[in-house]
Amino acid sequence: MFVYEKKLQYPVRIKNPDPAMAKYIISQYGGPDGELSASLRYLSQRYSMPYPELKAVLTDIGVEELGHLEIVGTVVHQLTRNMTVEQVEKAGFQDYFVDHTAGVYAQAAAGFPYSAATIQVKGDVIADLSEDMGAEQKARVTYDNILRMCDDPDVIDVMRFLREREVVHFQRFGEAMGIATAKMDQRNVYAVNPAFDKMKK
Amino acid sequence: MCAPLAVPMLAAQQSAEPAYESAAALAKGTLFPGLDLPFMDYIANGPVEDTPLAELMALDFVCQELALYLDTHPDDKEAFKSWKSFTALAKEGRRRYVEMCGPVKRSDTAMFDSWVWPEDPWPWNNGKAGKK
Repeated sequence: MFVYEKKLQYPVRIKNPDPAMAKYIISQYGGPDGELSASLRYLSQRYSMPYPELKAVLTDIGVEELGHLEIVGTVVHQLTRNMTVEQVEKAGFQDYFVDHTAGVYAQAAAGFPYSAATIQVKGDVIADLSEDMGAEQKARVTYDNILRMCDDPDVIDVMRFLREREVVHFQRFGEAMGIATAKMDQRNVYAVNPAFDKMKK
Repeated sequence: MCAPLAVPMLAAQQSAEPAYESAAALAKGTLFPGLDLPFMDYIANGPVEDTPLAELMALDFVCQELALYLDTHPDDKEAFKSWKSFTALAKEGRRRYVEMCGPVKRSDTAMFDSWVWPEDPWPWNNGKAGKK
């Protein structure tokens, strides 16, 4: 069960519309390494995780990612509200505008709609946690790249916060991996997949 | 004995101390100086803003950071104690915020005389926190 809180995890107060910026920041909403991917990946991987600590890590990080999805959606909304058609044209935002006006739609910067093909749920402890660590790094790089192009301090501040969260989550998934492998066969952690195979006592 | 091969390993955080104070933690995006690893010179300059909402966000953020830490360090009694005290602070902060600014959770609406849940500001509107 989820309970909504009518507040963001981090404040977003963008004063000026800038559709050119919205055009690439939308990728962290519905792109391959975006926040929708993150939340769906972690919240879906939970079901096959055999260890309590890992269920907690995936749940708590997955829920935070939903909060980040809301932050990125807010950024895109605030960058596109009150924009004029002239601004749309000048920013080269017509491709998005014609389909979505000033709505927030889950797509990558290159325009393709959100796809679960960008994530994986392998049902294997080491494979899934390895994917999660990789995913945090890819999201971190996406924020690095956004920061390289951003020139609005109101936006930079939020991107900087979200990027740092990727660093923290990477650390927690790394620790989760340590917890998992410590519980597995120390001579060969690949002997079985504890998420599927019955463990011999 | 040397470490087994082909096992992914990352150094675990040793302690939940030292820690930033809550407003600085929110601004930086982490409670822990050891994990504060910014890109280039994109460094937080000071607290986010001085509003009741930002204050509540900061307390909730510290709770979240400690919770993630505890998920992978469930035996750290000091961190658990710290999480408990921040959770109490956040609960009290939330009560004061709701009284002043309106419901955060839908169930908070029970403290009011009418169905104020739909009223602005919603989080994506940039309304100044603090109506009523």
